Amino acid sequence: MKDPKGISSGPENPQRRTFLIALIAGMGGFIGFILGGSGLYYFLSPALRGKKKEWVDLGPLHNFKEGQPVKADYLQRKRDGWEVIDSSGVVWVLKEKENYVVFDSHCSHLGCPYNWDSAKEQFVCPCHGGIFGKDGRVVAGPPPRPLDRIPVKTENGSLFIMLEEKA
Amino acid sequence: MKEILDWLDERTGWRKLKEVILDRHIPKGVDWRYTLGSVTLFFFVLQVVTGILLGMHYSPSPDHAYDSVKYLTNEVPMGKLLRGLHKWGATGMVVSVFLHMLRVFFMGAYKYPREVTWFSGVFLFFLVIGFGFTGYLLPWDQKAYWATTVGAHMVEQVPYLGDALAKIMKGGSDLGTVTLTRFYAIHVLVFPALTLLFMAVHLFLVVWHGISAPPEKDPTLSDKDPDWKARLKSRYAELKAQGKSFWPYIIFKDTVAVTLVFLIVLGVALWKGAELEDLANPTDSSYNPRPEWYFLSVFQLLKYFPGKLEAFAIVLLPLIVVSILFLLPFIDKGPKRHPGDRKWLVLAGWMSILGVVFFTVQGARSPLTNPVMEQNPLVMQGKRIFTDLNCLYCHTLNGRGGSVGPVLDLVAMRRDKNWLGAHFRNPKKLTPGTKMPNFNLLDGEVESLVAYMSTLGATTYSAEAPRLFEDNCASCHKFQGTGEFIAVDLSHIGRARDAGYLAAYIKDPVKMNPDAAMGGYADQLTPEQILDLANYLYQKGK
Ligand code: FES
Repeated sequence: MKDPKGISSGPENPQRRTFLIALIAGMGGFIGFILGGSGLYYFLSPALRGKKKEWVDLGPLHNFKEGQPVKADYLQRKRDGWEVIDSSGVVWVLKEKENYVVFDSHCSHLGCPYNWDSAKEQFVCPCHGGIFGKDGRVVAGPPPRPLDRIPVKTENGSLFIMLEEKA
Repeated sequence: MKEILDWLDERTGWRKLKEVILDRHIPKGVDWRYTLGSVTLFFFVLQVVTGILLGMHYSPSPDHAYDSVKYLTNEVPMGKLLRGLHKWGATGMVVSVFLHMLRVFFMGAYKYPREVTWFSGVFLFFLVIGFGFTGYLLPWDQKAYWATTVGAHMVEQVPYLGDALAKIMKGGSDLGTVTLTRFYAIHVLVFPALTLLFMAVHLFLVVWHGISAPPEKDPTLSDKDPDWKARLKSRYAELKAQGKSFWPYIIFKDTVAVTLVFLIVLGVALWKGAELEDLANPTDSSYNPRPEWYFLSVFQLLKYFPGKLEAFAIVLLPLIVVSILFLLPFIDKGPKRHPGDRKWLVLAGWMSILGVVFFTVQGARSPLTNPVMEQNPLVMQGKRIFTDLNCLYCHTLNGRGGSVGPVLDLVAMRRDKNWLGAHFRNPKKLTPGTKMPNFNLLDGEVESLVAYMSTLGATTYSAEAPRLFEDNCASCHKFQGTGEFIAVDLSHIGRARDAGYLAAYIKDPVKMNPDAAMGGYADQLTPEQILDLANYLYQKGK
């Protein structure tokens, strides 16, 4: 059917209409799937990354006092994203009868940097009032578990701790 | 002129737009409380403008972020002001969006037919909070680092998914390079885009339905009445007919309000600036992490949920708040908008506000258990340079490092500042034949390195030192089991300060810290006694 100016405007064919809508949805869906899928995977990929562990030197054994937790810092050369950095960190070391216990320096509650109160003989967290005993057990406050312990070994008169290496 | 405007109208239809947007009538009774939305909009524009300008000198990498922020604050003309405006603008935006929401809540303005306007507003509210959270990591200072550490740990508490979610947030298992770029991209690209989108919806709907009229008490209106919707509409039309046009009457009020808050923000920005704490330092265990004030209530609440209930507090509580906000228009339906007709809800609203205020105040007052002390910026800078130059490839410190150069423990006992300075400037000149390379350090770098090296000493103190402390300091300061805890607890002062700094401080506190409340001891003690005391504090407090 043609109007006087020659532009065709046929009667609407409902099947053709549905078909076109399906095509639009299909093409749109395809583009969306490829873009959205790869983008989502890209964005979420950190969750899938595995962990590698390595031993990090904490320094000579004579640095640590018997019976008193001391802070020890370390340098770990590792990859951080696209950079290789000397990342420094700190842990608490408790030496008791030649036995070494190393605590992660982040509160087991929400990761604040707790400190040793030598007068009270307790670890005190500055955030939500978490308090831990010398052995890391929770004495007061909201922390859900004792201080996290890091695996240790002694070798050639030095103390080593097992840390996660960031891939 | 007329021709030009006509020409433009034929092509853009601007006259129609003007009629719909600017000439539309605003219902009678719309008063100053209604300016809060415009104020929030203004803050958004302010944040965009200042944010773009800050972005021109900002580098989103842990190596450079802090320095770039410091540079733009201290050295770029107007940088300090712009950063102050951005910081306090953020605070202003949180306040204004909150008040705007409260107005809508108490006036029941989220009710039919404006439910979707409310939803878009709730999204915008969360975006503002998200802006705050992602924004304050960017300067990469202590506050940034630790607040985000706590934030990430909170995410970790989510049952089952926590670990994965935290990693997605951080871009890996540690807070580092990728975290910063992620937060940056979200702060400057994702959130602004989303905000524009929701704002477009929000504003479109505001124009589409018209601004809600102030609630009226009408006992004859109830949802039992089958045409309450039609009655609402006709009453609204009446009020609208009695009202004035948006331009210029309402816009005038908005502009006055905006100017007022701008003056306030400008004043605070000029007065307070935007502080930048010390560089993020994951090894500092004497920092007291505190969130931005608008998260203080959450911070405080976390104290009340012990151990296993944590997950409840972190997942369920926010979920409840979010669902209440979204479900509000479904919980509170019907034509009754006046607070007097919604007593329970209004009461609940007041209770929540009081709760938030109470927890915020409690949070702000919670004691800082870690001794508050400023770090010596020079020493910290020196430590950084020490790491950057890889000094430990040749030298040993604390039993770790190379054996090409001398051991650096106790170096301050062997070498004084002049020697160290000359050594860093030109090692070969001072010690012919040395293997130490010349790093061509700038003066500032030399100064920092010298400051750091000078802390590596074991200057001894005499047996008299503890008595000196008892006599002069113990009445205000605590130090490892003795003394009163009135002023700063000095038990671990040696971790933050070297003996030289302490000596200078004891001599003249105000010179080292303009806000110091302590008086100088130059008259009471001899220089030897001051040094003795400083060494004592430093050595025992390390
Ligand atoms: S982070 Fe230590 S108590 Fe919350």
